[in-house]
Amino acid sequence: MTSLPVRFRFRLRFAIAVAKSASSASKLIGNKGETLSGRILLAIEPEAISLLAQNKKVILVSGTNGKTSTTRAVTAIISQLGAVATSRSGSNLAWGAANALMSSAPYAVLEIDELHLPAIIAQTDPTVVLLLNLTRDQLHRMHEVKRVADRWHVECAEALNTVFVADIDDPFINYATINAINVVRVSFGGRLHPDGAVCPRCGSYLTWVKGNYSCTCGLTNKISDAKFKKGSAAYRNAVLANLVGEILGAAPVEFAESDLERSVTKDFVGKQAHFRLTKNPASWREALQGDLYPDVILLLNARQVDGIDTSWLWDLSFAALRGHRVIVCGERALDIAYRIHVEGVESSIATSFEEAIALTEEVNVSVLSAYTAFFELVM
Amino acid sequence: MLEIIRIHNELLGTYGDRGNADVLKYRAGLRNIRSRIIDVSYMDPLPITGDIYLLGGAEDAAQLLSLTALRKGSILKKAANRGAVVLAICAGFQILGTKYLTREEEIKGLDLLDVVTTPGDKRLVGDIAVQSDLFDFPLTGFENHSGVTTLGEGAEPFGYVRQGNGNGIAGLDGAINKNVFGTYLHGPVLARNPEFADLLLERAVGSTISSVEDEIATRYARWRRSLLK
Repeated sequence: MTSLPVRFRFRLRFAIAVAKSASSASKLIGNKGETLSGRILLAIEPEAISLLAQNKKVILVSGTNGKTSTTRAVTAIISQLGAVATSRSGSNLAWGAANALMSSAPYAVLEIDELHLPAIIAQTDPTVVLLLNLTRDQLHRMHEVKRVADRWHVECAEALNTVFVADIDDPFINYATINAINVVRVSFGGRLHPDGAVCPRCGSYLTWVKGNYSCTCGLTNKISDAKFKKGSAAYRNAVLANLVGEILGAAPVEFAESDLERSVTKDFVGKQAHFRLTKNPASWREALQGDLYPDVILLLNARQVDGIDTSWLWDLSFAALRGHRVIVCGERALDIAYRIHVEGVESSIATSFEEAIALTEEVNVSVLSAYTAFFELVM
Repeated sequence: MLEIIRIHNELLGTYGDRGNADVLKYRAGLRNIRSRIIDVSYMDPLPITGDIYLLGGAEDAAQLLSLTALRKGSILKKAANRGAVVLAICAGFQILGTKYLTREEEIKGLDLLDVVTTPGDKRLVGDIAVQSDLFDFPLTGFENHSGVTTLGEGAEPFGYVRQGNGNGIAGLDGAINKNVFGTYLHGPVLARNPEFADLLLERAVGSTISSVEDEIATRYARWRRSLLK
C-alpha cells in the first residue's frame, strides 16, 4: 500500500479493520462472514477493490458454468508461485472480490459474476481474465446472453494490460474478446452451442458444421492460437486453467475430471448421495450426459439465484432418465415432474429431500440439484 | 394427422416455448388424435399444410431474422386465412403485428394481428396471470420482455392482466384474431394451462374433443393458480 496517497491509505486501513472485525463477529454466529465484511469494506471505502488490487497480480474467472471449480483449479496452479487470495465460498459479486482482496497475498484469483465482470475488470486492471462460456442462465436477471456479451465486448477492448484466455468455441466468448489487445484464443475442436444460432457480432444466421461456426462477418472458431482435443467441460476448464498458469509462469497441474465438476458425495442416513450442481440448461445437459445411478433425485428450486422462471426445463430432453427410479423434490418439484411426464418419464413427488432419500432403493443415489439446494444440503 | 409446426426454434427458443408443441402433441395423444411435430428451421421453407403453427420468444437479432424468413411467400398469413391455428409468444407475438419499432428502426410485421409494439423503458419480468373470456379461470405464466404492445381496431385482447404487465398498456395481454393468438405468457403457457392447449386442439380439429384427466397436469395448473394474489 506504500504507493497510495495518505488519505486513501488511512481510510482503506480503517475500512479493512472494521470489515475484518465484523467478519469475525459474523462467523461467531455461524455465517461465513465473507459477504458481510466485503459489503462493509465497500461501504466505507468504495474504491477498495481498485486500491487493494494495485499491488497484486489479479486473475479473474467468469462464464456461465464452471466458474467456481475453475477458480479453484487456477488457485491451485498459481499457489505454486506464491500465496493466493481467493474467495472460497463462490461469492462472486463485488463484495466477494473486495473481501478476498483484503489478503496480503501477492496473487488474487477471483470468480466473478457475469454481470459484475466489466466493472471488476475496470477496477482491478487484471493480469489475466479467463472467459469460459456464455449460455442462458437466470434470464430474469441477465435478460439475454447477447446483452451480457455486449457488455463484455466493450470492456475487453478497454483492458489494455490484460491477457484474455478465451474459449472461442463459444461464439459469445469469441465476440466478447474480438477487439481485445491481448487474447489467447483457444479451441477444443468446436462444440454445439444451445443459444448460438445468431452471430453475436453482426446478427446474421451463423453457419454451423459439426460444432464449428463461421459467419460472413468473419467470426469463426476455426482460427485459434491454441487447439486441443474435444472433451468434457471439466477437461476443457482444466486445460484453460493451466493456460492461465502458463502465462504467469506456473508449471501445469494435472486434475482429475471430478476435481472440476460441481459434484459432492455426502452420506444421508446410510445412503451415498452423489450431488451434482445443475443450475441451467447447459449444466443439466452436461449432467444428463454423464453416468447416473438407478436412483435419481431431481431437486428444483426457483429462487433468485436459481432463476425464478422454470420455462427452460422444456429445452432439455430427460430421455436419459428412462429406466431410472426418478424422485422429484424441491419448491418447484411439480414443474419438473410435469415436464418429464410429458416426455414419458414418470416420477414420485416428495415433499422434502429427506422424504426423497427415503424413497430410494439402492445405496448410491444421483442427485441433480438446483443451486440453492446444493448450498443448503452440501456446503 | 395433425401437423404441429414449431417455427424457428433455434431463433425463437430463448424462453422454453418449444414445450408448447410437446404439450399439444401429448394432449392430442391422450385423445388418440394422431399428431406430429414438424421443426422448421430458419433455412427451411415453411409448410403451408400445418394445422397449428407455434412461435416463441427470442432475443432481438433472432426475432428480426425469423421475421425476415417468414415474410417469404406470406405462408403464415395464408394458413391463418384458411383457419389454421397460430399461437405466438412474446417476440413471436410482436412479429405477427402490423409493425414493431426498435430504438433504431421501424420494422414491418407479418400483419396477422392488428397490433404495434414499441420499445418500453423498463424490462417487465415476473409471474403473470391473465383473465381471458375464453376461460372461467385465470391463465398463469411468466413474462420477460420490454415491449409495449398497442391494439388496433381489428384486434381483440387475449385477456385482462390480473398480475404482472402483459402488453404493458391498458391492463391487457396479447391479442386474438379468429384462430390467431398472441400473448406474453411463457411457462410454457400450454404446460401451465392445459385447458388452453385443449382449446387450440379443438380449434385445429374443428370439433369438440373428449375431456381427459391427466392428474399431474391438472395438479400443476391448479397449484400455480392457487398462488395468485
